[in-house]
Amino acid sequence: MTGQAIALPIGLAAKAAVPDAAPPSREAEREAVAACQRGEREAFDRLVVRYQRDVYRLCFRYVNNHEDANDLAQEAFLKAWRAIGRFRGDSAFSTWLYRIAVNACLNFRALRRPALQELPEGIPDRAPGPAADLEAADAAREVRAGVGRLPDRQRATLILKVYHDLTHEEVAAALGSTVGTVKANLFHALGNLRRLLALEGETR
Amino acid sequence: MMTRHLSEGELVDLALGATGKDREHAAGCASCSFRLEELQQGLALARKADVPEPSPLYWDALRRNVSRRIAEEPRPLANWGRLLPLVAAAAALLAIALSGGHALRQLRHVSAPVLPSWSALPPEEDDPGLVVLEGLARTEGELTAWEEGRGLGAFLADLSEADELALADGLRTGTEEGDL
Repeated sequence: MTGQAIALPIGLAAKAAVPDAAPPSREAEREAVAACQRGEREAFDRLVVRYQRDVYRLCFRYVNNHEDANDLAQEAFLKAWRAIGRFRGDSAFSTWLYRIAVNACLNFRALRRPALQELPEGIPDRAPGPAADLEAADAAREVRAGVGRLPDRQRATLILKVYHDLTHEEVAAALGSTVGTVKANLFHALGNLRRLLALEGETR
Repeated sequence: MMTRHLSEGELVDLALGATGKDREHAAGCASCSFRLEELQQGLALARKADVPEPSPLYWDALRRNVSRRIAEEPRPLANWGRLLPLVAAAAALLAIALSGGHALRQLRHVSAPVLPSWSALPPEEDDPGLVVLEGLARTEGELTAWEEGRGLGAFLADLSEADELALADGLRTGTEEGDL
């Protein structure tokens, strides 16, 4: 073995740099946060690498397009950097970061109302059965659009709980809510999503 | 045997995989079973909504963009809670400096310890306070009147700058003349 670097095709080389490294221990993360609070940008860079995929995906689920998700993810990290001095470690850094990202998304939506009308809190259950016959890609797009039409709190809860697999307590912390409210919002989000997609299936 | 129907929260827990007596209830209750099934359908639908994966090169670009924008930012505000004692100390020092020492004299006055009725003070003839009293005597009434019973420490702490200078002159004169 000569120690010579193995040349990877450009796609694979980039993939090797994709930020899915093993999550740092809680202690390592605390140290990274403390370093950020001392103004060490390199430490924040490591946190960005660790969480950029999660934050991007969270934002994407809100806005349903890459360009806005990219802007929002950057904005969320920038806000986190500005506020890191006030992070007291009461929750996990990831929970705190998700909260910032969710707020960025909510603000974005408040400023740029989507063309689609937001779903009202309660809609009639007119048709049973999910759109199970849709092609997978189409189904995913339909569902993302449906998620995008849920009321803000329901959508945030669904995204954090179902797609980011946070515990009820973590979702509550991220949204400044209670476990009971999280469960109620998730219950209604899932029901509304199912009914909404069934309705749209009917109209096609 | 449970008689009430399951709450929304309990149904959510079951849909997410919880086990226990609630699941037993749902199995035997048509209403709860139906609601749970609806919830599971919603969950199954939601899980179909995968996010398209951006180009592998995207992640590095995102990191670099964040890094560049942060480099243009001022340093983050430090945790004010941690810095508060330092800030308070700095403010106090600044106030003392600006007041030309007056604030410190005030502070000394305020925090002067109250001596107990018994005291291990030195014998009267060795008391350096007597030197000050001698100096006072030499000011020959230039100073603000000393109210009886106020105590020397309190009196000195309240001296104006002009009085302090007069006292210092009195002490210096006494020293030069060898009286003190």
